[in-house]
Amino acid sequence: MTIGEDRAAAMQAEARERRITSLLIVVGAALMALLPFVGVAPFTITLLTEAMIFAIWAMSLDLMTGYTGMLTFGHAAGFGLGAYAAGYFAREVTGDFLASLIVSELVVLSLALAVGFVVTRLSGAAFAIVSLCVAQVLFQVAVAWRSVTEGMDGLVGVPLPKLLGVTIHNGSQFYLLTLLVALIVCLGLRALVASPFGRTLTAIRTNAARAAAIGINVPLHKWLVFVISWAVAGIGGTLMVFMKAGTTPMSLYWIESGNVLIMAIFGGLGTLLGPLIGAVAFVFLRDALTTGFAVWQLAFGVVFVIVVLLFPSGLAGIFSRLWMVVRPASPARDL
Amino acid sequence: MDLNFLFVNILNGVVYGSFLLLTSLGLSLVFGLGRVVNFAHGALYAMGGYALIAIMHAGGTGYWPALLAAPLVVIPVAMAIERVTIDPIRHRPDVDTLLVTFGLSSMIVGAIEYVWGTGTTLLPPPSPFAGTVDVLGNQYPLYRLVAALVSLLVSAGVFAVVQFTPIGLRIRAITDDAGMAEALGVNVKRLLTLVFGFAAGLAGLAGALGAPIFAIHPEMGMNILIDSFLVVVLGGLGSLTGSAIGAFFVALTKSIGGGYFAEWSIAFLFLIVAAALIVRPTGVFGHGRVA
Repeated sequence: MTIGEDRAAAMQAEARERRITSLLIVVGAALMALLPFVGVAPFTITLLTEAMIFAIWAMSLDLMTGYTGMLTFGHAAGFGLGAYAAGYFAREVTGDFLASLIVSELVVLSLALAVGFVVTRLSGAAFAIVSLCVAQVLFQVAVAWRSVTEGMDGLVGVPLPKLLGVTIHNGSQFYLLTLLVALIVCLGLRALVASPFGRTLTAIRTNAARAAAIGINVPLHKWLVFVISWAVAGIGGTLMVFMKAGTTPMSLYWIESGNVLIMAIFGGLGTLLGPLIGAVAFVFLRDALTTGFAVWQLAFGVVFVIVVLLFPSGLAGIFSRLWMVVRPASPARDL
Repeated sequence: MDLNFLFVNILNGVVYGSFLLLTSLGLSLVFGLGRVVNFAHGALYAMGGYALIAIMHAGGTGYWPALLAAPLVVIPVAMAIERVTIDPIRHRPDVDTLLVTFGLSSMIVGAIEYVWGTGTTLLPPPSPFAGTVDVLGNQYPLYRLVAALVSLLVSAGVFAVVQFTPIGLRIRAITDDAGMAEALGVNVKRLLTLVFGFAAGLAGLAGALGAPIFAIHPEMGMNILIDSFLVVVLGGLGSLTGSAIGAFFVALTKSIGGGYFAEWSIAFLFLIVAAALIVRPTGVFGHGRVA
């Protein structure tokens, strides 16, 4: 077999594995959709709804940090901004979910285009720091711009969402809507990272200088990734503002940026499914550990440090190492 | 238009700038030495503040002995943290140390909240500097001027150590080329632990010294951390001169802008920093690589 044939076979095998995984994701989502109808407690459904919203957010972070190597400490920005824009529009104009989502996305996109143009010129530590500063500035604006954001009190009184004229109630109805959106986002991002565009991002993460040398427009790709990542985070923020019927400046605070980072790292960066699992683990773990904010933050810090020190590739890394033991000669691995 | 109002804001800016200088110098030193961006620097600043009140309450001492002792509490804790969490991953990519220090920050702040609660502690200005002093017709708190002077003197001391002592020579050698310095026999590992602890001590001192001015609460380190980041990014990571100029630029912009535009001034400040980074991605006074 020539090298070309060998490579073609490996790519086919990888494409097959990808299709099987996608199918499993759809089956998994379908099974999750059944949960409200088999007597799962409403509180658990609420937690799962929150977990799916966080999963959307953590997957958007994975695109930027895991696939492109742009570590951000300010990923609350796109999420919180999306929440404020959708919440304000829904309260002042109409509670229509799609209209609110579109308006929210327009706001997030326009700011991401402007901010991203500047900050994606940086990389590594400088990018991480400046991304944190961006989110903290938005936090300050949310506190200061009282006529729109109502300051520290937060935006309240967001109506229930309407989809095609039908009101979506909290609980199982909203859960199903969130699950559907999360499924679409998950499959969409998977298609994106498997596309030539996604491969280009991996090339940039691996070695930006070499990527530039073979003709990849690195600044343009990083800018695009920044914008897409914020836009997807904004979808999560839109769902969150409807779920909580409001939002506060704390949704933009650095602690939230840390939360989404630990979800993604805990699950395993650069895998998309890892951050999804990480988000679910995070929500249920936090629910179990919250006996007081201080204990939670302390526990959060300890988990964060241990995961980074000892399990840098997260849960997904542990699974894939087990998988390698089961199937040592998986041809798709060495691409 | 009130010139006095402007003058007091400038004075506040100078006071805040001298604190920012103390914290930024530590950040910059640690980055220059180990390429470690220390997100826990703000938490160590808070640790200094809490060490101060713990010593004052438990030891029954006055403010000044506690001020001297507070950094001595922070330094060994920081050195232990460096040995256990940062040293083992020095061979990993830079971003891993960022992540670890981010987790450490949450851990330290969480521990503070666990022990002392989330409340704010106010500390009266210590004698004999409790009163105010007449500065061009304004009654200005005397302690602020004293604290600023102490910060500036300590900062000058840091500059002197880095510029004129054998250990400073080693620090500069590592900052310039860590591999070469190590080849010539400099113990990078030990020096990094030492400098990390020393930088944390500076942050702790700033936290304790600033306690009677800025009040003590668990999140007290976050704002000064963000401002210090702006300082070092603007001045160039690893450049001490850049940090010095950046500290006063950031503090004065914040306090003068804050006097007229309230919270909006920080957004304005960020725009300036962003503009500077477009023109010079390595910072205004930086040279070499950003990260």
